[in-house]
Parts: sequence; structure tokens; C-alpha cells
Amino acid sequence: MSPDLFFLLASLLFSLGLVGVVSRRNLFVVYMSIELMLSSINLILATLSKLLGDGSGSVMALLLIAVIAAEAALFLAIIVHLYRENRTVDSDTFNDLSEVK
Amino acid sequence: MLVDNLELIIFSILAFFMLGGAIVMLLSKQTIFSAFGFLITMIGLAGMFALLESRFLAVAQIMVSVGAVVVLSMLTILTVNAQEKNLPKEQFKTLWILFSLGLVSPFTFLLYKVLLTLPNHFAEMETLTAKVTGELLFSKWVLPFETLSILLLSAMLGAIIIAKNRSKGEQS
Repeated sequence: MSPDLFFLLASLLFSLGLVGVVSRRNLFVVYMSIELMLSSINLILATLSKLLGDGSGSVMALLLIAVIAAEAALFLAIIVHLYRENRTVDSDTFNDLSEVK
Repeated sequence: MLVDNLELIIFSILAFFMLGGAIVMLLSKQTIFSAFGFLITMIGLAGMFALLESRFLAVAQIMVSVGAVVVLSMLTILTVNAQEKNLPKEQFKTLWILFSLGLVSPFTFLLYKVLLTLPNHFAEMETLTAKVTGELLFSKWVLPFETLSILLLSAMLGAIIIAKNRSKGEQS
């Protein structure tokens, strides 16, 4: 079992998350894509932990899980707020700060 | 030899489910189906952590990512309960996804190539049980750990303030 396969899987997951952020307009899907990108970094960290024979990568991934949880709470609060104001989850409608309407 | 093959088989099954879940997440129109795809990906990731002998990390992944984050997002999706007309009309969704897949694929290749420069074999190591992880967390990593508690507290307060229901009168 070589680390290459894990790295391949992590890069694929990361780019799928990137594709979701770029191409979807549903805010929930954008949020889950960001989570997916963060989780693929977690996979890379855990792989490195085993590759180097050192527990630090695993601990770093553990800390990153907490960061993901904080990000989830904030992002969901923002989505709920935006939905209450505009009654939509379409990311194209939220252009209050934009100069180009 | 047998153990090696078994690991490869488990890896293949988990990778299949993870990639499938991610693709379902990207392609489905209903938000709740996206959340189910995301759930499958997260459970598969926990299996990957277990395969990498980060035992405590796998349990933490199940408890936090699957048990808290995904369930919280599902609850929010069901609470918001966006009707068909409130969902964005994405007529050329598949086309856009294919287009951005083409844009992103060189980056994927680059990331993979960069990661391949690392050594190609796993080192011998003890299984990262809760004891080993906890000792590391409270000796070498104690400052990030404490900083993270402040981050979580501020995120919690921020989420409450953002999502608080303000009446129309006191909004201005």
C-alpha cells in the first residue's frame, strides 16, 4: 500500500470541491464543497503523518476538524440570515456590496 | 501479502464511495441529496483515517464531521426548506461543471505531482491511539489547541449574532 493512492484521492477530492465552488450557485452546495476541500487537506495530513512516522500530522488534522466545525457554524448562520432576508439560496442574488448590478 | 491486498481492497471500496458521494453532491438538484452525498464522503474519509492508523482521528471525524457538521447542515437545509422556485435555476449546470472540471484538472495534476515528490513508502509507526494523540496534543501542540478554543468560542458567538432574528423596527 503506497501513499500515492491516498495523494491521488486527496487531489481528486480537492478539485471536485473546487469545481463545486466555481460552478454551482446553490449556497448549500458551495458550503459543502468548501468543507470537502478542507477535508481533503485533512486526508493529506493524515497520510503525511503515517509517511513520516510522526503523530504530529494527525494532531494537526484533529485541530483542522475543529476549524471545519467553526466554519460550518458561521457559514450556516450566514445562509440562514441571507435566506431570511431574500428568500433564496441563489448566490447570484447577493450583490448588495457590488457596484455592478 | 494478504494484508496488503486487503488494505488495497478496502481502500478501493472507500475511494469509490467517497468519489461517488462527491459527484452526487455536485450533480444533484435537490439540496438534501447533495447533503447525503456529502455524508457518504465524510464517512468514507473516517474509514481512510482508520486505514492510515490514525485511530483517534477516525473517531473524531465520525463524531465531529459526521455527527455534528453534516447533521447540522441537514437540519439547516430541512429548516430552510427552500422550494423549487427559491432554488437557483441552473440550466447549464452539467456544462458548467464539465467546463470548470477542464479548468481545474491541470491544477489537480500539479497537486498530485507535487505530492509525489515525497517519499514513496510508509514509515513504521505505532498506531495513533487516543493516548499517543493526547500526549502530543497537550505537549507539543498545546498553544494551537488553546488558540482553537478561542476561535470556537468566537465562532459560536458570531453565529448566534448573525442568525439572531431581528425585528424590522430595530434593524436600521
